[in-house]
Amino acid sequence: MKFSRLRLGKILAIGLGLSVIAAIPWVFNPYYTSVAIVIGINTIITVGLCLLMGYTGQVSLGQAAFYGMGAYISAILSRRLGLSPWLAMGVAATVTGAFAYIIGRPVLRLRGNYLAMATLGLGIIIYIVFREADWLTEGQRGIVSIPYLSIGSFAFDTDRKYYYLVWFFTLLVLIVSQNIVSSRTGRALRSIRDSEMAAESIGINVPELKVKVFALSAVYASIAGSLYAHYLTYVSPQPFDFLFSVHLLLMAVVGGLASIWGAIFGTTAISFLGDALHGFGDLESIVFGFILMAIIIFMPRGLWVHLLMAYRDRREKAGKVRP
Amino acid sequence: MAVSQFIQYFVSGITQGSVYALVALGFTVIYSVTGIINFAQGESVMLGGMLAYFYFHTLSLALPFACLLSVLSVTFSGLLLERLAISSSKRASVVSLIIITIGASMFIRGIAGELWGKDPLPLPAFSGEKPILFLGAAIQPQTIWVLAVTLIFMLLFQLLLSRTLLGKALRACALNRRAAGIVGINVRAMSLLSFAMAAALGAIGGIVIAPLTLTSYDIGVMLGLKGFVAAAMGGLSNQTGAVAGGFALGILEALGAGYISSAYKDAIALLLFFLFLLVRARSLTSPEQEK
Amino acid sequence: MSDCILEIKGLTKIFGGLTAINNIDLNVTRGSITAVIGPNGAGKTTLFNIIAGVIPPDKGEIIFNGKRLNGTSPPERVKLGIARTFQHVLLFKDMTVLENIMAGRHSRTGSGFLSSGLRLPAMRREEDEIALDAAHYLNLVGQGRYGSQMASEIPLGQQKLAAIGRALASEPKLLLLDESGAGLNALEKRGLSDLIKRIRDMGITIILVEHDMELVMGTSDRVIVLDYGEKIAEGTPSEIQKNRRVISAYLGEDGEPA
Repeated sequence: MKFSRLRLGKILAIGLGLSVIAAIPWVFNPYYTSVAIVIGINTIITVGLCLLMGYTGQVSLGQAAFYGMGAYISAILSRRLGLSPWLAMGVAATVTGAFAYIIGRPVLRLRGNYLAMATLGLGIIIYIVFREADWLTEGQRGIVSIPYLSIGSFAFDTDRKYYYLVWFFTLLVLIVSQNIVSSRTGRALRSIRDSEMAAESIGINVPELKVKVFALSAVYASIAGSLYAHYLTYVSPQPFDFLFSVHLLLMAVVGGLASIWGAIFGTTAISFLGDALHGFGDLESIVFGFILMAIIIFMPRGLWVHLLMAYRDRREKAGKVRP
Repeated sequence: MAVSQFIQYFVSGITQGSVYALVALGFTVIYSVTGIINFAQGESVMLGGMLAYFYFHTLSLALPFACLLSVLSVTFSGLLLERLAISSSKRASVVSLIIITIGASMFIRGIAGELWGKDPLPLPAFSGEKPILFLGAAIQPQTIWVLAVTLIFMLLFQLLLSRTLLGKALRACALNRRAAGIVGINVRAMSLLSFAMAAALGAIGGIVIAPLTLTSYDIGVMLGLKGFVAAAMGGLSNQTGAVAGGFALGILEALGAGYISSAYKDAIALLLFFLFLLVRARSLTSPEQEK
Repeated sequence: MSDCILEIKGLTKIFGGLTAINNIDLNVTRGSITAVIGPNGAGKTTLFNIIAGVIPPDKGEIIFNGKRLNGTSPPERVKLGIARTFQHVLLFKDMTVLENIMAGRHSRTGSGFLSSGLRLPAMRREEDEIALDAAHYLNLVGQGRYGSQMASEIPLGQQKLAAIGRALASEPKLLLLDESGAGLNALEKRGLSDLIKRIRDMGITIILVEHDMELVMGTSDRVIVLDYGEKIAEGTPSEIQKNRRVISAYLGEDGEPA
């Protein structure tokens, strides 16, 4: 039954989604293109966080550090050592992932609270290094004139070009993550989320898997960081602080902790909200803090997931059986 | 010369350590009674100083009265936090509770920033600013206040825990919540009380140190983190350990900042924390089966 | 001794002040069905947890297929061929019954993050195999019609069978069944007994912890009785039924409470 109704519906939805994404730089004014680029970059990090929090129940308050590592390593390698930006991105992702894997082994064995604080502390230590290690990162001044990403003579030097580059990566990350979730590994992750003891009883190496997901989330964040560096062509310590880690947390929570595609929704919602509140001083903190509390209290699986579930409930009541 | 410099650092360390100790104590109180780590703990210190400034400066109340009112206000906010955020998620996972308190801390910080702006605010020293000379080091009299007040309240707290019926009830909850409930202790009330006390302790710390280090809307995060580090190193349910950890952290930090590098000051506490985690990792791992 | 699949020597486990397991020796013959019975609190589930690797013993050793198990983790033991079920079932609630069993194939398959993320051909082939194998085990335990239902939505008796299916999916040589009969009606228990025998016929050794005496007597070759963490009797079902020590340990209890 190749073209069942459901399948056709899915294909149409995907086609529509892709068309919308492709059209954005042409339809809206250029400001929104740059917003969409940032959303794309942040979504990559958020997906990693969703995987980590939603599937292994581990919270990370230091994703901004991995994001920063990706950005700085890319910047240093491509600017100071003249490496190809693509190679730099690959190296950054590998180094950041390996770092997370090594740190993750002892850290992820900790009980929830210690883990949260450990990631928080890690994030802050790395931020301090960004800020103070002048010899490496140029400290507060930051690194400038970072080269563009390019394929041959085609350089990604305008917003419009960069938009497609970023969203290529974003969609790639989303698809890869979705593949992982619906695979043997995904089943193992869902098992861990449900009952670690039962997961172990069927041969799943729980600690190992948790560390791997942690490392994966770091790799995603690093890729996002590299993309950021080659977009702005300038990195400074400021964006990679604890506050950003909390923003990422918020995006993940709004999107739904175990929802891959919800990450787009969460990131977009928070990005626009943040933008709207930007001029109003500390209103952003107040609103964000409030939303964070409200969602976890009333919709612990995330806003997007709850909306989805509500929608599905309504369809069930209308007579459509569960697919 | 070297002695006086050491004394300077040491005193600075003890002073800051007092605040860490108070925050750490607050962490252990809440944790031992409710099992929750309150990420917003640092904010109570911030609010203590900020509100004291507000009552004193803006409402022109007498300093002692302003301080008292501040403590009461912050205590009330602690109750609010417990009520609003925590009790409505009794069945929530650890992750959820952590996120709630993070949200709360952000929310509080935002309100403080909105109401009082981002600049550091001064509170007048309790007994003047003429430095006391001790072995060649110049010590602010406020420092004495910090140490004295901290020690007094810790003693009071300790007495409360060990000598009063209320204290016994709290300790019972800390040991075994369910058993305490069965025996007739009002666990909900104890939970409220623990949040109130932690808030009060934090506020006291914030007020007493504000004249020295100034208070501003964003000191909560680092204080909370370092207080947690101190509490964790001393044993999350161990009051004396937490206090000792707080002082130790303050001293190590001050010495490190003075002798090694002040730019990396914040990193010192965190590195210590990591070392501690790595060394004690075994005993902090998650036990899957709960009796 | 290839005849003896599991050898337990001098096993002791103490929790604080309580000696849960006290110096137990045990030999389980390959291909047999052994029941471990005893009053509540006798240490049966603790014994299972130790064999499965969830709790380390304080003293003693466990030898499985000639290999010392001390220090190995639960997942490692699954790889070696020990599988178990839980008293409280512990099926994965957010998955269908079939997915639960597919998850059970974890230890015998190997696609990781990379091949899964990129959906490499080898991974897709393995996924198909997993689905087929899982369906096989699903039918084996009689849950064929529940395959696409959410695990939390089928009746308890069926959940227990599904859990056995999940354990079987790891291709164990030794299967530990913890209170599989609890909560089942008489008909279901008969079905369970048949299933256990069929599993034994597949070449798998079974140890069951049970309260239901009829199930125990009708299914097992050998019965071991624990009381207060000690082995007080061992023998065939009929021998145990007549054993005075056993009877007094139960104080007249003759089966699970209604």
